[in-house]
Amino acid sequence: MISLRKIWTVAERDIRMFLRYKFLLIMRAIWFVSQISLFGLVVNTMFTTKVQNAVGGSYFNYYAAGIIITMLYSTAVFIGYDIYEEADHGVIEYLLSVPVSRKELVLGRSIGGGLRSFMYVGPMMLFVLYLLGVSSFLQLLLALLSLFLFTFGVAGFSITLAVSIKSSDRFDILMGVTDALIVRLSTTLYPIAFMPQYYAGIASFNPLTFAADLFRWGAGMESTALTPPLLSAFGIIAFFSIFTFLGIFLHERRLEGGGWQ
Amino acid sequence: MMATIIRIANLTKRFGEFIAVDHLNLEVGEGEILGLLGPNGAGKTTTLLMLTTVIKPSEGTAFIGPYDVTQEPDKARTLIGMAFQEPKLLWVDAPWDILNWHAKICGLSAEERKKRVRWVLEELELWNDRLKSVHTFSGGMRKRVEIAKILIQRPKIAIVDEPTAQIDIVGKHRIWNMIRDLRNEGSTILLATNELYEADVLSHRVAIMHKGKLLVCDEPKKLKDNIPGGDVIEITLERDILNETFEKVKKIPRVVNALAIKQNQLKIYLNQAEEVLPKITEFFMKEQLPVRSIRMSEPSLDDVFAHYTGLTIEEAQKE
Repeated sequence: MISLRKIWTVAERDIRMFLRYKFLLIMRAIWFVSQISLFGLVVNTMFTTKVQNAVGGSYFNYYAAGIIITMLYSTAVFIGYDIYEEADHGVIEYLLSVPVSRKELVLGRSIGGGLRSFMYVGPMMLFVLYLLGVSSFLQLLLALLSLFLFTFGVAGFSITLAVSIKSSDRFDILMGVTDALIVRLSTTLYPIAFMPQYYAGIASFNPLTFAADLFRWGAGMESTALTPPLLSAFGIIAFFSIFTFLGIFLHERRLEGGGWQ
Repeated sequence: MMATIIRIANLTKRFGEFIAVDHLNLEVGEGEILGLLGPNGAGKTTTLLMLTTVIKPSEGTAFIGPYDVTQEPDKARTLIGMAFQEPKLLWVDAPWDILNWHAKICGLSAEERKKRVRWVLEELELWNDRLKSVHTFSGGMRKRVEIAKILIQRPKIAIVDEPTAQIDIVGKHRIWNMIRDLRNEGSTILLATNELYEADVLSHRVAIMHKGKLLVCDEPKKLKDNIPGGDVIEITLERDILNETFEKVKKIPRVVNALAIKQNQLKIYLNQAEEVLPKITEFFMKEQLPVRSIRMSEPSLDDVFAHYTGLTIEEAQKE
């Protein structure tokens, strides 16, 4: 029997821990501001009307929405780094000894990892929504619910990789490479229509594509370049389910074995 | 007769070829303080980690109350609380947050949580530092935060791994009293230590481990009484003793055993020390080994350990 109280207590711990990394939070916020106010604005001027129309009227708006998703992704994966920090200080052993089941622990950590990402990116998301203008609150609500699941899925993905690899150096390198591939092979920065066919095939099944296009749809952007919202929502649900399950499965088998590097 | 609350059956843990715990069998009675004594590397911590379900046994099992740790680990953990040997804290943590969260995850109500956390922090002299991050803390302060967890939780079974390591003598006595209080309030205590005095003063029974195996388990007094050669003489010589002279000492009538603590220091286990002592001093005179000092004592748990392993606990630690 899973206890919601315990899941929330675990999640609450991860949220509180995250807020202690003030330097990281400030740096990520500066990164966001510079991406929007420097890169976004400059690149926007480089595109022709044809390109602007293909992405719903304004590449800047398209890009700003995409950047929010990359922010959600990069802050939700941070839970994996927390696991290494905890392994380093033996806190994992402590967490495994408290009266919480392994399922409650992983679910709590996925939710905490996702929720803290959402809370942190929230003000930036509101700013972008203000820029985009929201046409349907119901659409936005549905998109936000899916994005909640997306962040939980990313946290589960990060936990899965962290407990599978058990080496902080390898994890660090892998996350750097994954970040480069998963962001660039998605529609966070550019639409599928402009990608070579073999890239487009991969990007069509990328959870970041689902999340970015769903967020744009939720904000009322209209473009044929966006993935259909129902497909995106299903994609996110599948991503969340797979990695939450894998996280629980591997957590139960891998964490108790020790061997962290 | 106390009811059994922990039953360890053939518990074994292998790390590759290395056997950390080797077919351990042990029972702990409800309300008992059982000292698990042994040098570093004896397998104490590995045993405790298996009992708390942090690591899985390679063979055998243990029952925490009615729950088998390999079959029902989640239920087993509801009865257990552990204070680890190395404090399990992140550098950004503050004691107040750590202990509040611990109390919360253990199911304490908000009111009880606040009361207990404050009481323990005050008792352990951490109240004024409760909001500081632990990276500013000394080793002893961190250790006190670790101990505070079980004092707040008050679990049915409290497992404490070297609770007073790095803690000053006043702090040690305070923690020993708190462990006794915990037991008086109904907890069973499993105490792992390599401090002989700590095991002696706190434990109802002491289980001695060496190289992953249980050597003996009994009340400290019985363990000491059961050593053949109930008297102990510690002799310090002016010069180092040769091996052949050392072997001759063992052959003096009524000498049961002898151990070389240092090159010029011996511990002799014997019966009726008063009668044998003159013969021993005479022997050293003959061997032209002047005696610097002689001390007679009751056997300690160190002597019990030495009796079963042939080593002092320090020697075993070096091994």
